[in-house]
Amino acid sequence: MARFDVGEMKTSSKDIDMLVEVSDLINRESKYLDQRRWDDWLDLYSDDAVFWAPSWSAEDTLLEDPKTSLNLVFLEGRGRLEDRVFRIETEDSYASMPLDRTVHVVGNITVDGRNNGSIHASANAIVHSYGRHGAQTTGNLYEYILSELEGHLKIKQKKIILIDDAVAGPIDIYHF
Amino acid sequence: MDGIRLEKDFTALVDDRVADGVFRVDRSVYTDPEVFDAEMVQIFEGGWIYLCHESQIPDEGSYYATDIGFTPVVVIRQKDGGLKTFINACSHRAAILTPRKQGKARVLTCRFHGWAYSCEGRCVRIKQEKEGFGEEEFDRSFYDLKVVPRTESYRGFVFGSLEENVPPLRAALAGAAGWIDLMVEQSPDGLEVVPGSSTYTIHGNWKMQIENSVDGHHVSTVHRVFANTMRNREERDGLTGMARTEGGRITGKVPSGAYDLGNGHMSIWAQHTTPERRPVYKKKDWLEANFSSGKVDWILNRGRNLAVFPNVALMDNPSTQIRRVRPISPDRTEVTVYCIAHVGEDDEARAARLRKFEDFYLTAGMATSDDMAALEDTYLGSHARAARWNDFNRGLHSMIEGADELAKLGGFEPVTSSESWENETLYLGFYRHWRDLMSVK
Repeated sequence: MARFDVGEMKTSSKDIDMLVEVSDLINRESKYLDQRRWDDWLDLYSDDAVFWAPSWSAEDTLLEDPKTSLNLVFLEGRGRLEDRVFRIETEDSYASMPLDRTVHVVGNITVDGRNNGSIHASANAIVHSYGRHGAQTTGNLYEYILSELEGHLKIKQKKIILIDDAVAGPIDIYHF
Repeated sequence: MDGIRLEKDFTALVDDRVADGVFRVDRSVYTDPEVFDAEMVQIFEGGWIYLCHESQIPDEGSYYATDIGFTPVVVIRQKDGGLKTFINACSHRAAILTPRKQGKARVLTCRFHGWAYSCEGRCVRIKQEKEGFGEEEFDRSFYDLKVVPRTESYRGFVFGSLEENVPPLRAALAGAAGWIDLMVEQSPDGLEVVPGSSTYTIHGNWKMQIENSVDGHHVSTVHRVFANTMRNREERDGLTGMARTEGGRITGKVPSGAYDLGNGHMSIWAQHTTPERRPVYKKKDWLEANFSSGKVDWILNRGRNLAVFPNVALMDNPSTQIRRVRPISPDRTEVTVYCIAHVGEDDEARAARLRKFEDFYLTAGMATSDDMAALEDTYLGSHARAARWNDFNRGLHSMIEGADELAKLGGFEPVTSSESWENETLYLGFYRHWRDLMSVK
């Protein structure tokens, strides 16, 4: 079997362009968080964006209805993300001054589908953080819903499935 | 369970000279591994420990796996609706019997060798019993599960004790019972744990987490940023009603108080400036029809934090929380938080309660995170042997023996009352009880 049989490829060049654009967005988000470029980070989100980390009800059941269950984070609307940046920038938050250093390593990015102008994409991330009380590494599954606004892809929803049951010390939006 | 043996006496770590205006605690109570080991036996294996809430084990066979100190235990709902707690270890080779933290089973079958136990703790099956123990009648009950001697619930909050010889739970709760009443009685149909929880570890001693849960003095410094963030949000978004946060207490300058509730239990309260932002406010008419005005005032208009000795805090503020503390080592504490809410409350109130919880109480929230960082720093500072003492003498001069006027209206009986939640007199009760348990009798 020919290794490069274009006729067999299921991915069109349009799909590849989309994957590159989505990957670029997801990678930039990680970079902005690690570099503390908060305004650039906020700018990736639409005004009605949701930033959400559901909690586990049991070892293998995720709770996915924010109206009726507790979440590790549930921020509805970009204003709630702005709250977090406001808090960090005051330097009045005990947990945020000094800030932990983080590195997000993101991979396994896939475009999973499209409907009504939205793009569903996912990625995995290992986040290593270090601060005065030690280091920790957490595993995260990201599920994005993206949409094109004024010629740019924006994040309408970022759902973070934190696979760790317990985290050490305080965490913030930039640890996810 | 087999008798308590304490070889070393830790009495001197509490310097109790209140008549001289001195009450202080040696900081090694937080850092010394010998103290920690003794606490696990004297305190955690010696008295009532909070296990779970009854709503987490609703039906016959519902189980909840938890711990008492280092002892894994499982609480199981019985056929008659009662509760039993067992050591969560197979009588044969000690494997944990519950596949999950929470679930439901008619029989718990050990997944190692297949031995099985009924909900009542009877050993009902031994694999290849005849081959292994002979044809003659074999007394399988020898392998019944070890029962935790005491399990009792107070208004839905389930406690267990590895020590049989403890007072009934209601008596042991002392003044804390009245504070649990204030939480429970506000809901006509009772309380339930909302699905979901968050677990985090703190680089610090378990007592620091309990102290922090009823420390009013830190609120206007550590949580100033929370109040400012909320003010900024509300101005930006033009929020109204329950979507707003009750921030008035945080900035201080409101009436407040603190109580030593006896047996190591402690509580603080502060006046709400905008109680209508709390989900409980929807029950105002029902409360006024059913309770004294003094009690309704306590329920609606005062945010309350209760620490039940030694391992749980119950918060009744704009949102409502169970905070369970599990000591791991002198320098490491695991905390699990649950949202507890009114059964049958409407969608708007439930969602408001959850969002307020997530804003404030979580490790990724905007207040608990700051608490954690602060108490981790107090742990680091406690290693300084040249600076040995934590003073808990703030408010000694104004401390009231027994109940103040408000306590009488609320229907609970404190050992001492304090006119401000900034005061530390409540910790006298905690550390005197601690000292009594950590002393050679």
